[in-house]
Amino acid sequence: MDDKTEVLEREQLDIEILRDVNLRLPAVAPREAFPAVPLTVDARLQTRAVGQRATRPDCRMHGLGQTKYIDDIKLPGMLYARIKRAGISSARIKRIDTSGAEAMPGVMAVVIGKEIPVNSFGPTFQDQPVLAADRVFHAGDGVAAVAAVTEQIANEALERIVVEYEPLPAVFDPVEAMRDDAPKVHAPNSNIYATKVVRKGDVEKGFAESDHIFEGRFSTQMIEHVSLEPHAAIADWDATGRLTIYATIGRITLARADMARTLKLPMSRIRLIGTTVGGNFGGKNEISQEPALALLSKKTGRPVKGVFTRSEEFTSSTTRHPIIMDYKSGVTKEGRIVARQIRLVLDGGAYCSWSATTLGKACILSPGPYKIDNVLTEAFVVYTNKTMTGAMRGFGAPQVCFAYESHMDDIAKGLGKDQLEIRLLNAFDEGSSSPTGQVLHSVVVKETLNKAAARFGWESQS
Amino acid sequence: MKAFGYVAAKDVTDAVALLAEHGTGAKVLAGGTDLLADLKFAPHHPDIIVDISRLEDLKDIEVADDGLHIGALVTHSEIMRSPVIRDMFPALVEAAYTIGAVQTRNLGTLGGNLVTCVPSMDSGPTLIALEAEVVIAGPGGERRIQLGELFAGPRKTSLKTGELLTDIIIPKANLNKPAAFEKFGLRKGQALALVNAAAAFFVDNGNFKAPRIALGAVAPIVIRAPEAEAYLEGRKITKDAMAEAGRIAATEAEPISDFRASADYRRDLITVLVKRCLANSHTRATTKAKELVL
Amino acid sequence: MTDVTLTVNGQTRSASVPPETTLLVLLREHLNLTGAKLGCDVGDCGACTVIVDGMAVNSCLMLAGQANGRNVTTIEGLATRDRLHPVQKAFEDTGALQCGFCGPGAIMASKALLDDNPNPSVKEIRDALSGSLCRCTGYTKMIDAVQEAASVLRNEATKQLTDART
Repeated sequence: MDDKTEVLEREQLDIEILRDVNLRLPAVAPREAFPAVPLTVDARLQTRAVGQRATRPDCRMHGLGQTKYIDDIKLPGMLYARIKRAGISSARIKRIDTSGAEAMPGVMAVVIGKEIPVNSFGPTFQDQPVLAADRVFHAGDGVAAVAAVTEQIANEALERIVVEYEPLPAVFDPVEAMRDDAPKVHAPNSNIYATKVVRKGDVEKGFAESDHIFEGRFSTQMIEHVSLEPHAAIADWDATGRLTIYATIGRITLARADMARTLKLPMSRIRLIGTTVGGNFGGKNEISQEPALALLSKKTGRPVKGVFTRSEEFTSSTTRHPIIMDYKSGVTKEGRIVARQIRLVLDGGAYCSWSATTLGKACILSPGPYKIDNVLTEAFVVYTNKTMTGAMRGFGAPQVCFAYESHMDDIAKGLGKDQLEIRLLNAFDEGSSSPTGQVLHSVVVKETLNKAAARFGWESQS
Repeated sequence: MKAFGYVAAKDVTDAVALLAEHGTGAKVLAGGTDLLADLKFAPHHPDIIVDISRLEDLKDIEVADDGLHIGALVTHSEIMRSPVIRDMFPALVEAAYTIGAVQTRNLGTLGGNLVTCVPSMDSGPTLIALEAEVVIAGPGGERRIQLGELFAGPRKTSLKTGELLTDIIIPKANLNKPAAFEKFGLRKGQALALVNAAAAFFVDNGNFKAPRIALGAVAPIVIRAPEAEAYLEGRKITKDAMAEAGRIAATEAEPISDFRASADYRRDLITVLVKRCLANSHTRATTKAKELVL
Repeated sequence: MTDVTLTVNGQTRSASVPPETTLLVLLREHLNLTGAKLGCDVGDCGACTVIVDGMAVNSCLMLAGQANGRNVTTIEGLATRDRLHPVQKAFEDTGALQCGFCGPGAIMASKALLDDNPNPSVKEIRDALSGSLCRCTGYTKMIDAVQEAASVLRNEATKQLTDART
């Protein structure tokens, strides 16, 4: 047989295998598809695309004003939903009376926390309720959702819902919340809900060997994404029991999984259409009102649209973690960093959301892009009775970057050295190891610093 | 927003009658930029909105025997474009420019800004420094008062039921009085003033004559700084005198601490802004330059 | 109910709406022109910007009744069957649109500027755009876009003059 025949046979064989294969198994790429040695991209190679003008294909519709974002979508018979927000940071819900709202003409359904089949979700810990049932953990918590024929009626219906709260102790400062005697947000669990430690070498030994020690505390504030498009979704629970959700969510499968969990519905019955989004930046990577809208749709037999107000974007959607960062560095008199010890306290808000990931990133990146033999970072994320903190572009990196760069400037000033010079002395080189032991390639920190300095005319400050 | 009624007034008399008829249940719509934003958050809502935005009588800008008349419905954009105001009172143009953004200025009116009566109003300080008067139309006819008497407190004017602000007049004696305005906000646009200030004075043989200093956002209403004014009256115009006036003015204010700034910071701002207003007024007084730099 | 008749993108449109209806809601819900967006509803973000009687305004801060008898241009009124408006084309070409949500508002604010000022300085462009918030682009491309569009419009105007003379 010649080669061609051999090839044909192999192809036929593959097809036979595919036909026999149980369709539930994932397709597996043949071993040859992956190179034995991982690809190393050389950042120094200029690609053709850089510097070229590229038109985004969706811009045509954007420029025409024809893009349909969720609030531009109208389905036949659609109702409008609004959510009543607790307005109190920590409380027990003693009583909730929705009869006043339900009696209003034009109000088609009301849903409260107790009606959610599984009232908890979250990417790491499932500590977040769809709607608060017995406990309120932050002022932006939803306690009831209303669907009405107009948004105006839905708004007025919120005022007719009577909720009796028993205020409970609250804690707002994450450092205070770490203390044993602080009120427990999610009692009986500790307020410290995740920790991460990165240890390399021996910082105490490093400090002992240093000529100078510098310390500083840096803190960042809570920041809201403020995507121009607010959180929005349309839920349509049809007569066959299948749920279609139009949502601005960036993680469709995770959202379907969370919807399946909270609604006790098989994932196969949930179709989530991720629409053109008007800005995400990390704030639209998880469900929020969708299960409540779904239940409203189920109750009414009609599609239900919910759009957050701009205020709700601040009170009831995820934000960037404020972090309190304590830095201690031991340096030689030339300015070489010998040891760096860091403590990070992340304000973790009322629910975990993407905090564990943020914690990880912040912790790993906290020493900065510098060659340091001795590193100890201890990072904690702590519950407080404030707006939930979650993913926001940077995911923990911007905060620590502010800290380690400010700290570097302090060190330079303290030693009477130029800020650029001290960075060039310490920055990563090709093949350097990160604090977690990752060997780094395509490292161009020093070249970039020098090029930038030349371009903006940096003059040595020492 | 909650439901309310709407009627477009045909003229000032009609507007006054409608306001008198509906009393506290009526709100006046001029530009709407403050009113609608307020209604969207307010727990209360009016029974009826009386739309006066089309009353052309209230849109005139003209110099009459008693002074410069600016109709209550003149928008901030119209102030910025008016050749008369640009020539005589660049400070009013400067102040209008700091309000919101172009969209706000296209609809927002001078009268509306004054009657909304927030302590940080940007149109207030310059007019107070220029000793402006206002004309109020009401069921009993017209009355004319000092602008300062219009302000009763934050978001509270001395207007009685059925009354409407129709005209703002800068008195003849103050026409062409050099004046300047400064505002400090957390951003250059779309920002409330942490502090705003205005100053106006004549130059008399190198001395301050009839100096007037007004401060906003540092008391329940826009205030004058009479002690600073008294200090300057008749004094030789120097940088030091201006700085001292700024320091005195800061003691005459009652700024609050809030999430935007502390009281101390606001006091510091007063000293700087008053000094700058005095310096800019002086420049206007002594140079022929009519270039308006915004 | 408030009866309003106004000209929208060159066409006479009428509606009978509750008095508390804003111009934004009139356009989006009653006239099916969803280009203007609701970003904040209080005139801070500019996503609702339309042109009324030649002026850029926040349609969320205008009552429908206020717009009665007036001339309104929305984003939908810019392009013709033959071509995009130069401002739309420039926004597209320079990359001034990413998620696009602020786009209609920023484009209308830019058009209002250029209708009034055919050769704006960078400062004047920034002023005109200061009422349009954008979280994606950082505004630099929008400034480029407005300059490009201004240049195209000036050339067209010159060409029209030249054609008229010959």
